[in-house]
Amino acid sequence: MPGGNDGPGFLNRISIRRNQVVAMESHDQELEDLDIFQKNTAERFADLLPPPTPAPGSVHSSTPKNNGNSDQTPSSISASESPLSEHNPLSQPAPAPLLSIEWFRKLLDVFLCCEAEYKAVIVMGRDPCQFNKPPLDRLIPDLLDRSIKALDVCNAVTNGVELVRHWQRLAQIAVVALEQRPIGEGQVRRAKKALSTLLTSMAFDDKENGGVGNNNHGKSTERTWSFGRRGGGGSAAGNSNKDRTGGTFRSLSWSMAKSWSAAKQIQAMSANLIAPRGVEANGLAMPVYIMCTVLVFVMWSLVAAFPCQERNGLSTHIPVPKQLGWAHAITGLQEKIAEEWKKKEKKGTAGLLEEIQRMEKLAQSLIEFSDAFQFPLEDEKVDEVAVQVAELADICRKMEEGLAPLQQQVREVFHRIVRSRAEVLDVIDQVGKMSVPVPY
Amino acid sequence: MDTDKEKPIPEDQNNVDDQKKQPQDLQDAANHAPLSTTTETPVSPPPPSETTQVDVGDGEGDVAKGLPESEEVVPTTSEEDQQQQEASPLSPPPDLPKVSQEIDHYITSLLSSLKQDVSSSSSAPETVPICVEQFAVLFEAKIDEYDSVDSPVKWNRLTDEDSESFLDAIHRISKLYSALCEFSSDCQFAYSINRIGTVLQRAMSYLEEEFRFLMEDYKIPDSDYHQNPVPPEKLNDQHLPEGDETPEQNQGSEEKDDDDHLPRPTNQEENVDICRPEIGYSDEGLSNLRKLSKAMIQGGYETECCQVYFITRRNALEETLHKFGSEKHSIDDVVQKMNWESLEREIMAWIKTFKQCANSEFPRERKISDFVFHDYPQVSESIFSTLTKGVIVELVNFSEAVAMTKRAAEKLFKFLDIYETLRDVLPTVDNLFPKESVHLEEIKSEATLTRSRLGEAMVYIFCELENSIKADTGKTPVPGGAVHPLTRYTINYLKYACEYKDTLEQVFREHQKIERADSTAGSDFDYNTSGSTTSGVFENNSSNNNNKNSNDQKIQISPFQSQLLTVMDLLDQNLEIKSKLYKDLSLSSIFMMNNGRYILQKVRGSPEVSSLMGDAWCRKRSSDLRQYHKNYQRETWGKLLHCLMNHEGLNVNGKVVKPVLKERFKSFNAMFDEIHKTQSGWVVSDEQLQSELRVSISNMVIPAYRAFLARYGQTLTPGRQTEKYVKHQPEEIEELVDELFDGNAANPAGRRKL
Repeated sequence: MPGGNDGPGFLNRISIRRNQVVAMESHDQELEDLDIFQKNTAERFADLLPPPTPAPGSVHSSTPKNNGNSDQTPSSISASESPLSEHNPLSQPAPAPLLSIEWFRKLLDVFLCCEAEYKAVIVMGRDPCQFNKPPLDRLIPDLLDRSIKALDVCNAVTNGVELVRHWQRLAQIAVVALEQRPIGEGQVRRAKKALSTLLTSMAFDDKENGGVGNNNHGKSTERTWSFGRRGGGGSAAGNSNKDRTGGTFRSLSWSMAKSWSAAKQIQAMSANLIAPRGVEANGLAMPVYIMCTVLVFVMWSLVAAFPCQERNGLSTHIPVPKQLGWAHAITGLQEKIAEEWKKKEKKGTAGLLEEIQRMEKLAQSLIEFSDAFQFPLEDEKVDEVAVQVAELADICRKMEEGLAPLQQQVREVFHRIVRSRAEVLDVIDQVGKMSVPVPY
Repeated sequence: MDTDKEKPIPEDQNNVDDQKKQPQDLQDAANHAPLSTTTETPVSPPPPSETTQVDVGDGEGDVAKGLPESEEVVPTTSEEDQQQQEASPLSPPPDLPKVSQEIDHYITSLLSSLKQDVSSSSSAPETVPICVEQFAVLFEAKIDEYDSVDSPVKWNRLTDEDSESFLDAIHRISKLYSALCEFSSDCQFAYSINRIGTVLQRAMSYLEEEFRFLMEDYKIPDSDYHQNPVPPEKLNDQHLPEGDETPEQNQGSEEKDDDDHLPRPTNQEENVDICRPEIGYSDEGLSNLRKLSKAMIQGGYETECCQVYFITRRNALEETLHKFGSEKHSIDDVVQKMNWESLEREIMAWIKTFKQCANSEFPRERKISDFVFHDYPQVSESIFSTLTKGVIVELVNFSEAVAMTKRAAEKLFKFLDIYETLRDVLPTVDNLFPKESVHLEEIKSEATLTRSRLGEAMVYIFCELENSIKADTGKTPVPGGAVHPLTRYTINYLKYACEYKDTLEQVFREHQKIERADSTAGSDFDYNTSGSTTSGVFENNSSNNNNKNSNDQKIQISPFQSQLLTVMDLLDQNLEIKSKLYKDLSLSSIFMMNNGRYILQKVRGSPEVSSLMGDAWCRKRSSDLRQYHKNYQRETWGKLLHCLMNHEGLNVNGKVVKPVLKERFKSFNAMFDEIHKTQSGWVVSDEQLQSELRVSISNMVIPAYRAFLARYGQTLTPGRQTEKYVKHQPEEIEELVDELFDGNAANPAGRRKL
């Protein structure tokens, strides 16, 4: 497990600095450390910002392309666009689109880096007695509390990723079906069925699944939800053959504890996040505060992107003071994601993950296509569908490649948080022991 | 039309024969290899040439009749009429077996022309024969019938023959479809590919629905498996909804007739069919599931099949776990909100659930998936692994959360229970997983990680125990020199802990270093040396375990032993300090004796503890105790004995000096009374120690007193004077000695003396 022995391995990289810290534990050194930490944090998050010159994130650019699919140009653009970002990863690493799987993998890397550095600044080589004095005696337990809450978010996101993998499989069915030539009615229906289930699951797991906590019926598995078994499933074409889209639908995801709510958890995590002021702003209070902010931001964006239990009312605002240098990038990212979230709430999509959003739109578009389908299909239409199917296939491939490593990374974050918490508690305990008069 | 004229005759025959023969025909067709000639075709008069010539869209009514008749065995006249109205515009041939045979031929020719294509790449396949369309129409009609909106036919209600023939047809159409698809570039085939693909999709859709239905027909086994079959009422209840539907529909009456005419083992058996308690599915259900999954996978619908399977089993598992009382808890709740009492309950439930999963649930899942995906072991393995991993990860997460709770001494034992569960129960599921399963590796490493967290927590708890002993610096001595609560607590705690001796040995061996490496070096040093300083005979093995020491006096000790010794030593040191709180040295000795005795008794009473502490330790303890005893004797009784034994000044020139003697008696009496008054308030709760003390005192004092009396008693004037000075007879002394260490609180002198 990568999370197991993460600490030492990574910390080697910053061992030079650490030794310095041990060597000269002066106030100046402390200030310098803080400065480097802030600078690094700012830089790391700035790397995550989408470049300002091209379209502001592919999420935006992909918005119009599938909605009005009567027009063909947008879809062809999108088709040429997505392979583009894939084809030249060596020549010039195209920035990962905001909120894409790739972007999240970078984000989690950034988190792990910040976390390790934070620990170096605050724990290693420091006088543990600091932990017992204000402001750390208050701030450290506060961070530990937020960390515990982050662990639940990690688990919820792991479940969410698992759910996205189910979606991927459903989309894969549609891809396989619609890649066949000639495109026949049976394949179109098969694809439609899979995509309808996909969309239903997206709607269901976003809304109904969240409701699990509210109806405390004890039976956590009471999540069945029927379309009306043999109903037409809203198949627009007046087929005498009914499409039993979806059939009896059941939630595809593992659930968290009954009353657990991602939105509430994030709210609890971000409560009382107050920037240190005055003298404190120059001391060790700052890195703790930065770490809190980074933690909350990362967890918040994960919840926004991946299907999570009970996300209704997820706050769109994390209190990050814009005036602080290191917070610029985080603030920028936060505003962009919040914007997306507000859009989502209006439209009711399943999650801000770029791949999910595109998948959802493609699914809708392909269902529309299947409703109007008549055999044989004109060549023109065949090409049009092929473009969409190729894009869907591309998304599936990205998910296939990216979700498992992402899930592992989430786990790594989980274990890192646990590990660090234990280490910090150890230090606090030592301080506690020191205050005991018995010599140790 | 001439066909119309001819038809009625064979049709009537058909009606009669079909009831019994038609399914048989289908069965035969299914049993024979695709190319083997159908031996029995008495009721299929039209020769192939005729069939192929039948114009599509002609003679619709007849054909449509033929179809349902072959399935719905008893046609009535009204029935016929109705079906004539509903009939499809296409006209299939009257005989499915015949068409099937032709299809098989066609598939073969397609595939062989494909082979030729590869070699010669010239011979284009002929135009698609009419039998393809006929087959499509025939099969579609069947699907229509089974998968009707109003009265769907449940799979488990089909006769064996019907289901066999349906699966046979699905198998055929799957093969046909994939064969046709080989020619997808040829536009001649486009129509047929579409046609067959559509029928295949409909068939698969029906199968999927039925597969789901059968999957969901699952009974959660009770934790204490009922040997009794499911009560019949329950079964009836279950089938009631379908029963209610049938009368409203046309086919309802037929179905009932079917029951009378055809042997429908399913219906008969359903009431008897025992839902296998250890599986949750009936045998019949399982074999149906296997057939359907096979058909779906062969038809290229593996993903759909697996999705349905996974979701139903996942939900069934969750429901089962819920039934066992296993609740999900967020880490936040476990770590920060739940009190220990309720968490303890949850831990107990967790252990139960974990064992239940490993011993029954997971093996059951494996059985089910192996059975259903019998022909696809990889599918079975992957589905099983994913399912099981989901559950285990959730379970492990809980233990992880527990390991994160605030460490406290009382949690040690539940931590140990969890640790042992993870260590011992998890390996039992190993063989359920495929070899070198990534999932299993992940599960194992997660469990290992959790175990080391628990291990570290436990090591830490012992450090806390050390600290709490050190921190116990109360200035109030225990009245009467009794066993100190700290002694009781510590020793009982250790005794209880040593019931987990082997696990703790492992914990300290595996996790102590991690803990120590994390904390500062200083404490490590202190920790290890303190274990060996006071008990010099022991050598800490932190450096070298393999080094067999030739010196008998030095014993290699394990890290946990070292921990135990450290705690014992700390307790000793603490008791030593506490004993100094008594101003009376004798009481101090009694206190040390009491506590030492208590410790030794407890250690000896527990084979685990005594084996860990070792004989040498016990011997040392015993000798310490004897020393305290001697100290006490000297301190308390030395002066008194001196009084009796020191004859100096009593005899002057062979004559007893009476005033001196009187003084001796007086001081003896006073001393003894004072001792009695004080020490009967002291406490020795260990009966053996109490009597040992009393006996030793009596043995020491009484003979001396007797001798003294014998020698000087008669010097005193008998009567008043003797009564005055010889206050106690030796027997009385013995009685009074027996009153010592009773903890007699009524005597306040004992307390004041402290």
